[in-house]
This record gives sequence, C-alpha cells and structure tokens, in this order.
Amino acid sequence: MQEKHGSGNKNIQQTLGNKVSRRDFLKMMTAVGAIAALPGNGLLRRGPGASVMPSTGYEGKDAYQVFHNACPRNCYDTCGMLSYVKDGVLKFVEGDPASTFTRGGLCVKGYSYPRSVYSPDRIKYPMKQEGRGTGNWVRISWDEALDTIAKKILELKEQDGSLLGLGMTKYSGNFGITHYGVEGMMSSLGYTTRFVGTPCWPAGIDAQNFDMGNMWCNDPEDMVHSKYIIIWGANPSINSIHSMKYINEAKRRGAKVLVIDPIFTQTAAKANEYWQIKPGADGALALGMARHLLDKKLEDKAWLEENGEGYSEFASYLRREITVDWAAEQSGIPAERIKQITEEFASVKPATIWLGYGLQRHTNGGAMVRAIDAFVAMTGNIGKVGGGARYGHLFTWGFNYNALVQSAPEGSIGYTGVTGPMGEFDTGQGGNAATYTDRAFNINKIAQEILDAKEPPVRMLYVANKNVLSQDFDRNKIIEAFKKLDLIVVADLFFNPTVEQADIVLPTTTLFEDWTVNVSYWHYWMSINEQAIAPMYETKSDIEIASALSAKINSLKAGSCTFPENIDPKEMMIKEFNDGIYSLFGINSWEDLKNGAHKAKLVSSASWSDNKFGTPSGKYEFKSAIAEEYGHSALVKYKEPREAYASYRLLTPHSMYGLHSQFQNLDWMLDYNPEPLAYIHPKLAREKGLVDGDTVRVYNKTGEVQLKVSVNDIVPADTILMYEAWYGQNNPFNVNILVDDESSDMGKYKTGAPGVAIHDQFAEIEKA
Amino acid sequence: MTRYAFSVNAELCIGCSSCGMACKNQYNLDPGMVWRKLYPLSEEIYPHKDRAFYSLACNHCSQPACLEGCPVGAYTQREDGIVVHNEDVCIGCRNCLRNCPFGAPRYNEEEGHVEKCSMCWQRIDEGLLPACVQACPTNALTLVDLDVDDVSSTVQYPPGFPYRPDLEPSTRFVLPVAPKIVRRDV
Repeated sequence: MQEKHGSGNKNIQQTLGNKVSRRDFLKMMTAVGAIAALPGNGLLRRGPGASVMPSTGYEGKDAYQVFHNACPRNCYDTCGMLSYVKDGVLKFVEGDPASTFTRGGLCVKGYSYPRSVYSPDRIKYPMKQEGRGTGNWVRISWDEALDTIAKKILELKEQDGSLLGLGMTKYSGNFGITHYGVEGMMSSLGYTTRFVGTPCWPAGIDAQNFDMGNMWCNDPEDMVHSKYIIIWGANPSINSIHSMKYINEAKRRGAKVLVIDPIFTQTAAKANEYWQIKPGADGALALGMARHLLDKKLEDKAWLEENGEGYSEFASYLRREITVDWAAEQSGIPAERIKQITEEFASVKPATIWLGYGLQRHTNGGAMVRAIDAFVAMTGNIGKVGGGARYGHLFTWGFNYNALVQSAPEGSIGYTGVTGPMGEFDTGQGGNAATYTDRAFNINKIAQEILDAKEPPVRMLYVANKNVLSQDFDRNKIIEAFKKLDLIVVADLFFNPTVEQADIVLPTTTLFEDWTVNVSYWHYWMSINEQAIAPMYETKSDIEIASALSAKINSLKAGSCTFPENIDPKEMMIKEFNDGIYSLFGINSWEDLKNGAHKAKLVSSASWSDNKFGTPSGKYEFKSAIAEEYGHSALVKYKEPREAYASYRLLTPHSMYGLHSQFQNLDWMLDYNPEPLAYIHPKLAREKGLVDGDTVRVYNKTGEVQLKVSVNDIVPADTILMYEAWYGQNNPFNVNILVDDESSDMGKYKTGAPGVAIHDQFAEIEKA
Repeated sequence: MTRYAFSVNAELCIGCSSCGMACKNQYNLDPGMVWRKLYPLSEEIYPHKDRAFYSLACNHCSQPACLEGCPVGAYTQREDGIVVHNEDVCIGCRNCLRNCPFGAPRYNEEEGHVEKCSMCWQRIDEGLLPACVQACPTNALTLVDLDVDDVSSTVQYPPGFPYRPDLEPSTRFVLPVAPKIVRRDV
C-alpha cells in the first residue's frame, strides 16, 4: 500500500504546508503529466475564443482508481461511498450506487470529506501542550509521546496496584468496527475505568427492550408500503436524507404523513400535516391516542389477544386515568385532531411510526417511547411490512469484535463491584474477566464521576472518537474535573475543544487512510472501507496507536500489554468477519464487498414478523417485570416531565451541517452555514426587543453563550432553538455549555447508564 | 436535438444542501467559492421562513448574457445548451457578473478569474449525471432535456426568480406546498 501510493503522498506533502487551492492541485497534476487534453463534445455553437475547454472537474472514469469506503459517522444513513483517487490524491467522493438506500448520493457532510482530508487544520504530528488551554503546542516524536503515556500508565499501576486510575472515554466519532480497538487497547493493559453508556439513544433502547425484548426496526426501505406514516420527533430531511425518498414514495402512493415535533422542521414542511407538540408531552399524547382507540373500538383485538402481555391491565389504566381532553391539554394538540388522526391511523394497514431519538432525551423519555410503542402495538402494526414502531436496530452488528476483545495481562487487578453492559454495542464478550472487571462510570456525567472518583481517583484520561468538551454536558464542570487529572491524551483529527484541554494529542487517520467495515443502526446495508490513500503526515489509526503503545510499554516493562505489537489494519478488518455475517449478507467473503455495499438477506423487511418477541413472556409486554426491576413502572404509564428551571425551553438538536462536533469546522461547511443562530418566535422577539441579526446572551444555571438571533416562526414562542455544532477553533460557541447532566429515565438496562435529558433544558435570553 | 436543463422541484426539495456540496466536492472548489446553493424563499412566496428553497446554479440560458458580454470569449455554448466558462481564457473583468441577473458567475479573488457551474458536461458526455443531480436524495433536482421531456407541469419564471424572457433561462421549477399546521397556543 505504501509503495502504491508513495508518489502521490509525496506530492501532497510538498504542497500541503500552505493553503492548497484547486488550481494548485491541477497545476501539480499537470506538472506530472497527469492531465491529458480533455475532450469537449466538439459541437460548439457559439463563442469565438472557445477552442479550449476548461480543465477542471471530472476527468473521465479511466482517470481514477476507485475505492469503496463507508461513512463511519454516528448517522442513520451510514453511506457506502466511492472515493476517486488519482496519483494518490483523493479527488472526489460519491455515494456507492450498489446501495439502493443511498442510491449513489451522499449528504452535505459526506461530500465535504475531501476537504476534511486535506484541511490545513488537521493534526499532523504527535504534539504536547505546555499548559492546558494555552495553545503552546510543541511537536514531538511518536516515540516521545508513547514513552510519556506508557510511563504514566506504569506509574499508575505501581501507585494503585491496578489501572483503575486510567480512564477512557470514547463514543461515536468513528463507528468502524475496528475502532473498538480503542476499548481493546484498554483491556489489553488491564482493568481500567470506562465511561459507559451513550448520550444518544439509551432511554429508547431500554423502552423497546422492555416492550419487545429488543430494539429492532423494520427495513426503512419498506416505508414505501406504509399507508400512514407518523414521524414522531425525527427529522430525516436533515439527518437521514436518504430515508425521505421512501416517505415521498409512500405519499405519492396515497399515504398520509404526519410529523409531530416541537419545531416546524424541514421534514414537517414536507408532510401533509404537522403538530407542534409541547416537548415532554409525547407520552401523554400517545396515551390519549391509545384511549381514543378504545373509545372507538379500533384496537386490533385479534393481534392483542394473541401477542399482548398485560394488555387488559393497560386498557384498564387508559380507561381509568387517561382522556383525550387531558392529552390535548398536556400536548397542546386539539382533541379533535387527536381523534381524527387516531381514527385515520387505525383505519389502514400497514401504518407506522418513526420514533426519533430527540423525543427520548427527556427525564420521561423512555416512558414516552413505551407509550408510543404501545399505541402502534394496539393498532396491530408491529411485525408488519410497512408497519412497526421504528427506532433503530443492532441486527447487523454481529462482528467478531476481534480488535475489542483483548485479555488483561496476567495478574491484573480490577474492579470487584457490580457492573452492567459497557454501552449499547457491548456484545458481552468482554475478555476473561472472571474475578475482576473494569470500573464503569456514567459517560454522561464525566465531570461528576471524575470529581467523585476515589480508590483510586482517575488520574489519566484517554480520549478517542469523542470530543468531550463539545459534546459532554455541563462544560464548566468538566473543566473543573479535568484539573484533577495528571495526564490527558486525545487522539483526533482537529484541534477541537477537547484537544485544547489535552496534554498530548495523537494524530489519527481519516477514514480514507484506514481499513474497516461499517453497518448501520437504521438500514440493513454493510460497506467495506478500503484504504484509498496512504496515511498523511504522521497519522495513525486507533488500532495502530494501540499496537504502537503495546510495543512501547512492553519494552519498558515486559508483560504490560497484550495488544498485538505488529498489526496490519487490513488484516485486522478481515478478522472482524465471521460465517454469521457472511451468511446474513449472503456473501462468501469480505472481498465481495469490494464490488459494493451488500444488504442483509432478511426473512421479512418487518422486524418481529413472526410475532415471537424477545421478552420473558415471548409476547409484546404492555407490562414488563424487567422494567420494574430497573426502577420503572412495569405498566406503560404516563410519567411527568421535568419541571422548567428557567423561562424558556431550550432545544439543541442536530444540525444538518455537522454530525455533533464534526464537519462544521471545515471552511467548506462555513461557506454554507457560516455561524450559529438562536431561533426565536416573532412574539418572543417583540417581547425582548430583538430583530434578526441581534446578538443575544442565552444563559441558565449551567452557563452562557452569545450568538445572533433569527426571528422565525418555525419555533413556538416559549422556546429557543440552537443547533449543536463546533464551528472551529475561532468560535467558542457550544450548546452543551447550557445543557446540564440531568439523566433521562432509562438506559441502564441495555447500555450501562441512563441517557441525558438534553431536551429538558431551559434558559433565559437577553440582548447582549 | 438535445437541450439540457436543470429542473428544480421545490415540493420535493428537503433543503439538505447535498447538491451544493457535491459540486464543491466534484470541482474541489476553493473555500469561499460556491457554484450551487439553496435560496430560501421569502415568506411572501412560501409562508414559513427557511422551509422552502430553490437550488440554483447557472441557468444555462439560451441567450446567455454572460457570453454576450465577455470580451475575450471565455464563454462557450454547446449545441446541447450548456454554457461553459473557460477559466484559462478569463481575464477576470467581471462583465459577466454584472450582466447575469441570476448571480451564477462567481469571482475568485485569489485566482483573479470567474468560475461557474458547467453542468458537469464532462460527466454528461460520459453518460453520467451532473454531480449535484446525482447527489439529490429526493429527485428534486433533475436533469431534463427540454427538447424531449415533458415539462408542461413546470414553470420557467416562478415567484422570486428574475423574470428575464430575453435570456431564456433553461431551468424549470415546481413550486413548494405547505402542510396543514396545528400549532399549540403559546
């Protein structure tokens, strides 16, 4: 690989010290004879000086080497990609046409990848910072970086007798399967402290597990068969753009589409009807709809008889405690609309609800998901093609986790308390932890956990695939907590706010410089990620870092780390495959994926098509003993929302221009979305004397941000909307400065920790 | 005969901007340079701010004002209607920027020349779709042949788009539709 890409890489190295324009690239390529004379189509009608056609753009399919890649971001769509490489330079990317889901297209983020690879802002070498947050970065060698890290680890072990003083936090920066080698690196050193759980979707995962025994959604491509679609708290127009064509097609065939969301989203604008629900009242609304099913005798009695556990108790609860008028009052949606839509939804099959992740980011989020699931179940749409309560799935994730599964060195001492799963992807294959385990801390309370940690305290933190200071909660408390740490090491692509607080930064490869394999938690496709260009600068992939650290620490003290000291990223990828994966996808070998993405061979596009549920009763559980065991109501029930702690609801959902703190920092993205905005309703703007473009302070008990306002009726008058993003080093904007670390209700059962009530936040707003 | 044009269906457009970035990706455009972007419709045209768009680049006019006013012949129009700009011939006088009412030509300060959408003629010649069209996840942006395809349900001069029949812009439009909206009382 090195040899194949050698010359191209050298070209880049020579050119990239400075800003590289398109023209520079072309000149560089022309100089090496790479650009031949380009054909026009010859039939020029007008234009006297036009004998030469411009020499930019697509150069013909023979001009490129084409590689298969996979977008590894934390996104529904997880697009298969093609990368077009010429002389070792990534020229452009496209969607993999083999996937019917993405159909040859990417999103605004995916198309920005070439700029991310060749961004002048990339971290190029290992560096150390003399004084956190000072920006006094000094380039160091990999040897020095690894030596510092290894010696600190050995010191911790010496001091504490265990490695529980070494903490690791990682989440969704790269979902490539080999990236679980970061966890593997930790396991191969011993028993460490892990920040477990997920800030994303845990309450909903637990809810669906209580109801059905797993989180398992229909194939999104089968939404074309839906005759009624409710998109409840999801916004696919900006964060699952390839799902929209199925919704459009269903609509074209006559389906009605209703969007329920606190914000009049772009998805709502494409619907037949939009309901502006009060945040946190989704459960009340769903229960009101369920009650109306009973009143009109529209429930699917045959299905419920056969498949519903605890249904009669649930029905009694609805009759006793829920009315449509009450649901209308709670949710802000008129009773007349609730009744009509409920009747419409129940009168056709298949009908489906897509439950977004935003709606469960509440202190009652899991309970709300259970209520919506229950409504879908009552209409008999679970297990139906084109039906279902769609949330997500991990059905296609049955890899070996070879990079993840590593044994602790002999004699390692660990944690002896009770622990749960180490995140939603924990397959329960966690090494040989017969006596000892890792120490699990809540990923969503990183600041508090570090502040509270004793015996031993956390002294060193390793961060990978995560931008703690942008994405974790109560930023100001994190800064405090970090002061307790002797050493912070971050592996990343850019000098993000977490890197700013690090002592050592390790430069990582982009997806184009690495091998891995990716699947989705939404669709059922699998894509290979081939190395398309040689690693630039001194970058290393996560598993190469693990391997290098293993070699270093073992050279200092033999037997300190079991991670293989020599690895080949491609071989490591191959080791993730097994017969189960091959059989599920109907392929003979991973090499089949070099011809394009493959889709799982599903018995049905519907989950639960045989009505054999994964619950203890084997049925759909309106009443779940496991839920009770985890401290929740056994029965699907209304749960009060969090009380407001400031004047206005603050919503901080995903932006279309970024994936959490990724992408928005690129200059290409700034061309389309130059700055953050706070969206407020004209009524609130009048009350506060604000007009478009005014700078405001948005503040609450957790912190304060300043930004410009956009006066817009897409938001209700009691709400402030700001999209989360990291705008790059020169912009301190971060919505999570305003988000406290209050937990959502569920998540502990399947992901090890509850989620965060990201959308149960409140703030004040004033002209700055 | 073939007469290529972009068709912009604002009813299907989800405002995802994939078209614009696909263009930057295909041409490796310099930071600051944008050949295609979404223009949000004003509230007089569509009742909600930032919720309906026209995705616009060059309209590849039949009577291109850019070409007419170019002193050095940097513009060419192909038989199939595509108006191509040649950066190597361009002297950066910006006459075209002044003449085009659609804002399609863009001046690249660093390079001292104009740039604009070429409808990816190189891709079209190879039987591929323009990068922006291929990118569109909802088929809101399509490539049509005005000599062959039925465009009777489209409009040439939608509200908010400059009315310039003298230039005969080739882009065709379908207007957006607003849903029924149930708001809560606050």
